[in-house]
Amino acid sequence: MSAGFAAKRLGKELQKISTSLPPGIELVTAENFEEWLLDIKVLDSNPLYENETYRLKFRFGSTYPIEPPEVVFIQLPDRPIPIHPHVYSNGIICLDLLGQQGWSPVQNVESICMSLQSMLTGNSKNERPPGDEDFVRANRQRPKDIQFYYHDNDV
Amino acid sequence: MPPPNTPEEGALATASSEPSSPEPAPVPLTAPNSPSAIGFAEFKYIFITKLDYQAIEYVGEVDDTLLCPVCRTPFISPITTPCGHTFCRECIDRALETQSTCPIDRQRIRKTRDYHLCPLIIKEQLDRLMVKCPNKGCNHQCPREHLEGHYKRRCDFTLVQCTGPDCVKPITRRVARKRLGGCMHDEVDCRHCGDKVCSMELDSHYDNDCMGRVAVCSDCRQVMPNPSMTRHKHEDCPKVDAPCKWHSAGCRVFKRRELVKKHEAEGCSFEVISRMLQQQAEDRKRLDEMARHVARCEERHARREARRAARAQAHATAHGTNNNNDHRSIEATHSAAHSAEPSSDGDGDVGGSTEDYVLAQFERLESELEILRQQSRDMDARQSHIILQHAAHFSDQIAEIGSKVGVVNMHLSWLMSLQRQSRSSTAAAAIAGAAASVASGSSSGARPGSSDGSGWRYSGDDRRYSEGGRPESLHRL
Ligand SMILES: [Zn+2]
Ligand SMILES: [Zn+2]
Ligand SMILES: [Zn+2]
Ligand SMILES: [Zn+2]
Ligand SMILES: [Zn+2]
Ligand SMILES: [Zn+2]
Ligand SMILES: [Zn+2]
Repeated sequence: MSAGFAAKRLGKELQKISTSLPPGIELVTAENFEEWLLDIKVLDSNPLYENETYRLKFRFGSTYPIEPPEVVFIQLPDRPIPIHPHVYSNGIICLDLLGQQGWSPVQNVESICMSLQSMLTGNSKNERPPGDEDFVRANRQRPKDIQFYYHDNDV
Repeated sequence: MPPPNTPEEGALATASSEPSSPEPAPVPLTAPNSPSAIGFAEFKYIFITKLDYQAIEYVGEVDDTLLCPVCRTPFISPITTPCGHTFCRECIDRALETQSTCPIDRQRIRKTRDYHLCPLIIKEQLDRLMVKCPNKGCNHQCPREHLEGHYKRRCDFTLVQCTGPDCVKPITRRVARKRLGGCMHDEVDCRHCGDKVCSMELDSHYDNDCMGRVAVCSDCRQVMPNPSMTRHKHEDCPKVDAPCKWHSAGCRVFKRRELVKKHEAEGCSFEVISRMLQQQAEDRKRLDEMARHVARCEERHARREARRAARAQAHATAHGTNNNNDHRSIEATHSAAHSAEPSSDGDGDVGGSTEDYVLAQFERLESELEILRQQSRDMDARQSHIILQHAAHFSDQIAEIGSKVGVVNMHLSWLMSLQRQSRSSTAAAAIAGAAASVASGSSSGARPGSSDGSGWRYSGDDRRYSEGGRPESLHRL
């Protein structure tokens, strides 16, 4: 397997992303083919996420897009971690699309961003996942290595 | 040679085992006689890079339906799954390594066994896509199905291994073809100028830099350094065909330069037209400039008008809240100032808008100052009138008081004279008692009889004071 495969595919995605992106998604930095930063906004008037912008960090392995990228929310003074029953307060996202099972190589950065947008849009629960505090305290793992139990895939 | 669409394309293997990057990758330790070297007499070269379909550039937009959903490039050796989805052979292989389902609809797929040939119509469309040769320096464009042949057989810029016996560095085929057998990376002395030049670059040295090598113009037989030849042919050579100087005006003369020169000297009939066209172009430019200037002026004028209107409105609202008595007079002065304004700058319209604005402000301030001055004058008059009225009132009162005092004075002097008369003429004892009491009050002398009348004593102090002060004032009056 050639190492350039991921880079070529990311190059094509970047070309497309830098000319057009769906509303509410913005490319922040993409200086290499290992780590990109994007901003997303929830467009409809969900009071939980209104007027907020969230920063996503994508990390791509050499196996992308065969394997999913690692995607987390990161916290900055003006970029909070959105409150959601599938988003831990350290930014780790529990979404089956980003797991080995739910991932498909036809997905891409843009489609991930849109999925996360709609995940937030559809939520009305102002809560963190159960056991958030313990998880955040104990978590030393990379998000990829965590086996999530996707208890409700409807969110 | 199989076209790029056949899945078993790997057979075109080259000396390189990982040739997927378009940059020349030196391949170490590959013997020239390795079995993968192409063995035709014509192609004694060892290819260093393999044509990388994923990196090639397509001419124009490629329809989305021809893009592989995994790698996002137009399909390369596509296959179709039982569920009807098409992927590059390589892409689906990779995807199935981690998950044995279709990346799109997650139906089970067995590697290779479930691969079907992709519909011919797709292959044909892919074959027809125009692509650019990926070699640096080559401008070749062709349908994708012909690219492989161009790259392998014809492209001068395909990288091959240096023909030197111990050298594995890449050189372009163009270079390799010229000097079979020697290493192209040694420096050699140019036989014409003596400069040290890498033998690979000798050609470009001869063409561009070498001043020692002379060349003879094939057309005019003139001798000159080789690098000057291109310029000579383009600009100077009398035997080369060239257009007339006025060809842009329509002159069709296109023959050997010496004849064209003669034609120009004799007077090309298109020269007049060309000059006219030039003149016209200049006029057009000037006209455009003027139009722009007019547009700018109009814009400025419109802005000024808008400002004036805004100012007038501001005044109107200011007056609306003003309930002063002088309201009407102010309005009058203002409207006078306004009506004066347009005439004042109507003719001097060329002036800058700032000066105009300042001037208008100045006028406005001046008229307002005039109003204030008028108001203060009115106020002044009113004040003095009021003071005058008050003063008249006081003087009336004073006069009245004066007359009353005169009456009192009269009475008093009458009483005094009466007293004096009675004292001097009669000294009767009974009357003397009463007279003495009166005298004691007025002369402030001893009061011999005061102890007699208890009633007098009772209010004595008051009386003494008032009667003590009175005589003097009476005297003065
Ligand atoms: Zn499928
Ligand atoms: Zn593909
Ligand atoms: Zn070429
Ligand atoms: Zn060499
Ligand atoms: Zn030379
Ligand atoms: Zn010549
Ligand atoms: Zn002519």
